[in-house]
Amino acid sequence: MVAEQLIEDIRTSRPGVEVKEVPYQQRGYWFDLSAGPEDIEEVARLFDRHGYYIEDVCCVDFKEYLQLVYHFNHWDDPRRVSVRVNLPAEEPVVPSISGVYEGAGWHEREIHEFFGVHFENHPNLSYLFLHEGIDFYPLRKEKVPVPEERKRLLSSLPVSESDDVFFVNMGPQHPSTHGVLRLILKMDGEYIERAEPVLGYLHRMQEKMAENRTYLKYLPNASRLDYVGAMSYNLCYVRAVERLCGIEAPPRAEYVRVIAVELNRIASHLLWLGTYLLDLGAFTPFLYAFDDREQILDLLEGITGSRLTYCYCRFGGLYNDVDEDFIEGVKAFLKRMWKRFKIYNDLVTGNVIFIHRTKDIGVIPKEIARRYGVTGPNLRASGVGYDLRKAEPYGAYRELGVEVATGEKGDALDRYLVRLQEMENSLRVIERAIKELPNGSYRVEVRKLKPPEGDVYFAVEGPRGEVGVYIVSDGSTTPYRLKWRSPSFSNLTCFPEISRGVLIADAVSILGSLDLVIPEMDR
Amino acid sequence: MRVLRKAFGDDLVRIGFGLVGTGFVALLVLLLLGLLGMKVWKLFAPYGREAIRAIVGLVGVLGFVLFNALLLVWAERKVAGHMQRRLGPKEVGPYGLLQSIADSLKLLGKEILTPRFVDRPLYYLAPIIVFIPVLVAFVVIPFDARLQVRDINVGIVLILAFSSLNVIAILLAGWSSMNKYSLIGGIRSVSQNIAYEIPLLLSLLPVILLAGSLSLKEIVEAQSKVWFVFYQPIAFIIYFICAVAETNRTPFDLPEAESELVAGFHTEYSGMRFAMFFLAEFTNVFIVSAIATTFFLGGYKGPVLPGIIWFFLKAYLLVFIIMWFRWTFPRVRFDQLLNFSWKFLIPLALANLIVTGWCLKL
Repeated sequence: MVAEQLIEDIRTSRPGVEVKEVPYQQRGYWFDLSAGPEDIEEVARLFDRHGYYIEDVCCVDFKEYLQLVYHFNHWDDPRRVSVRVNLPAEEPVVPSISGVYEGAGWHEREIHEFFGVHFENHPNLSYLFLHEGIDFYPLRKEKVPVPEERKRLLSSLPVSESDDVFFVNMGPQHPSTHGVLRLILKMDGEYIERAEPVLGYLHRMQEKMAENRTYLKYLPNASRLDYVGAMSYNLCYVRAVERLCGIEAPPRAEYVRVIAVELNRIASHLLWLGTYLLDLGAFTPFLYAFDDREQILDLLEGITGSRLTYCYCRFGGLYNDVDEDFIEGVKAFLKRMWKRFKIYNDLVTGNVIFIHRTKDIGVIPKEIARRYGVTGPNLRASGVGYDLRKAEPYGAYRELGVEVATGEKGDALDRYLVRLQEMENSLRVIERAIKELPNGSYRVEVRKLKPPEGDVYFAVEGPRGEVGVYIVSDGSTTPYRLKWRSPSFSNLTCFPEISRGVLIADAVSILGSLDLVIPEMDR
Repeated sequence: MRVLRKAFGDDLVRIGFGLVGTGFVALLVLLLLGLLGMKVWKLFAPYGREAIRAIVGLVGVLGFVLFNALLLVWAERKVAGHMQRRLGPKEVGPYGLLQSIADSLKLLGKEILTPRFVDRPLYYLAPIIVFIPVLVAFVVIPFDARLQVRDINVGIVLILAFSSLNVIAILLAGWSSMNKYSLIGGIRSVSQNIAYEIPLLLSLLPVILLAGSLSLKEIVEAQSKVWFVFYQPIAFIIYFICAVAETNRTPFDLPEAESELVAGFHTEYSGMRFAMFFLAEFTNVFIVSAIATTFFLGGYKGPVLPGIIWFFLKAYLLVFIIMWFRWTFPRVRFDQLLNFSWKFLIPLALANLIVTGWCLKL
């Protein structure tokens, strides 16, 4: 197995690294590595050699010291490995691994501005979310002032006099950035020489909020992160806390969760379909897709009470049980939806202009996807059949199983086709889940929510990719640190790479095909 | 400008410009009056009917342009609505017919904003220039056998020459707006219009060869027996594609591509200035359809019904098809658009022209 070989290699080349095997069912990862700051670059290189992809980098402030936690995972051997690096609280410095994993560069920038960790040899250590007026590092437990020279903004890209280029600020108010994403485009005519995304226009400090309220009170916040696929975030948070406390939800609840999440996934893909074609200049499919999405929203409103940011999954079960009306409604929807794919295929898939706009545009090769940590349909379009519902099955997916749709080349057309295929697969999962829906109670009683000390990582397959949450508990009723791994964030990291040298029209097409949701990136 | 402003202050400069402007307009009016008094009157004295005809025709054209644009805006929204499984406007007036009047009143009532750093003279000029070719084209279109303002023997040349002005207006708007998106939109428009004007002309030439005239009326008369679309199906298709491109409609609406360039060349225009671009676009759609009707579909010729009704039926059918395109197709990419014209449409149109010429020679 890959993981054992990797551990072997690390032991031989870096004997200082401490390796522990941890129980997956409680912690959410298999191996726990502790490395020194001097080891991390070499360790990352070994991970790279064995084909691991970067999941997440996060930082935890333990007052006496800071701890960087890197999560790596493998497509073929999906056993998560976490690497810890302890840094002194005063002047924390660590070598950057963005030379090995380019995708980590963005996570490092995030840590740099929230914790004040300095990453050596980082190509561009400037603010990503915050503005320069920030006085204290926001996620540090104690008040640590930001030194004046560290307040670096990505204010301008270097341009020399002889360059025949100009800059376009695409966003934060632009019709095709779907929210408030800002892209600084260095343009040569209509060709993009370099694109640099700037985030933070929807930053709400969700992770700090988690530290200030109890596990229960934070529950509705989770779905606010991603208003398009809210159910996945809700489920991810609930399951992570359940894993931390050792709570088991009853089977009926697990099945209903799957139905709800898959319905939400279809709704999310439909919204993507509509807005993507809107980006390409076709207005009509948008309204068709929203018509279908509306049916799902009505169904989910019936059981959850809200139309967009659901708070349906609760610790140990659900908010309420599904009734006969919902089941009938889902059946009617399934019947309707199966017929609708023909309309989409007739209207969009075969269209010559559409094919010309998407074929061979924005190709994400497997290698790039791995180094940037691209997940979800974007990864599967590149031909990697990696889906957390299959790789790390959770809940009712263990019994239901799920078909994984894959593309070939990884261009925008493949991403479109994969998403269409995924909708069909989701319909099949829902059909099975409805048929096999067990009877029984829909929740277990959870009296007092006080998880034991420790940490947990949990990831579900959201509509956009791997939605992960890393929770550190100090044994109290509030999380000590909560870190979201949002798929859009990691998916966007590869945008500057794949948009180099393309036309502005293609950049819009690529950006749309990545299916980004801005509040989820900004957190 | 800056020197003037420094020397006299903002208000004085404004008043100065106002005075000069008023003087200029007064001069123009005087000139016109002089022309009318001295020459036109004398010239048209023996042809009194002609003069009246010209004036009535111009007023009629102006009225029709506005009416047509309002109708098309309404029609487009209705067509879009029904294609998208919704109703479209339905509140104001019967079937929402008065909606576009309400909208235009709203636009008229809006403050006309002028962004600070625009190139003012050009910025003001663009929406006016965009409207001139629109008005001129109507003068020569034969709506019926006897319903035509002037039958000029080079009618089609007049229309095409003036419709090229459209490009200048869009370029002016894009250039003067001091906005990068507008600039890209304006530049796109120029290269697009140049690329598509050539196949457009080349697709009309075979018809001119067949009819043996440049006068629109004679072209219609030449189709008494068979419509030219049956002789020249390829030319008709090429013309129609180019017409959609010339009017900047989807799938060729790159100068104003919303998802890429926000609103392209008219990003910085608001209120009635924006409405001028809007009106011009819709009128242009009608004009290209009217030319297609005249050249390929037998103009006002048709059984039973009076000619004018036939003409409008055919023209509005083509307008409907253009709308249908818009609500069905995605937008093409810019380089694809240009390649399509230079590498495919122009050679095809040329070949068609040569074959037609050869056949006629036989």
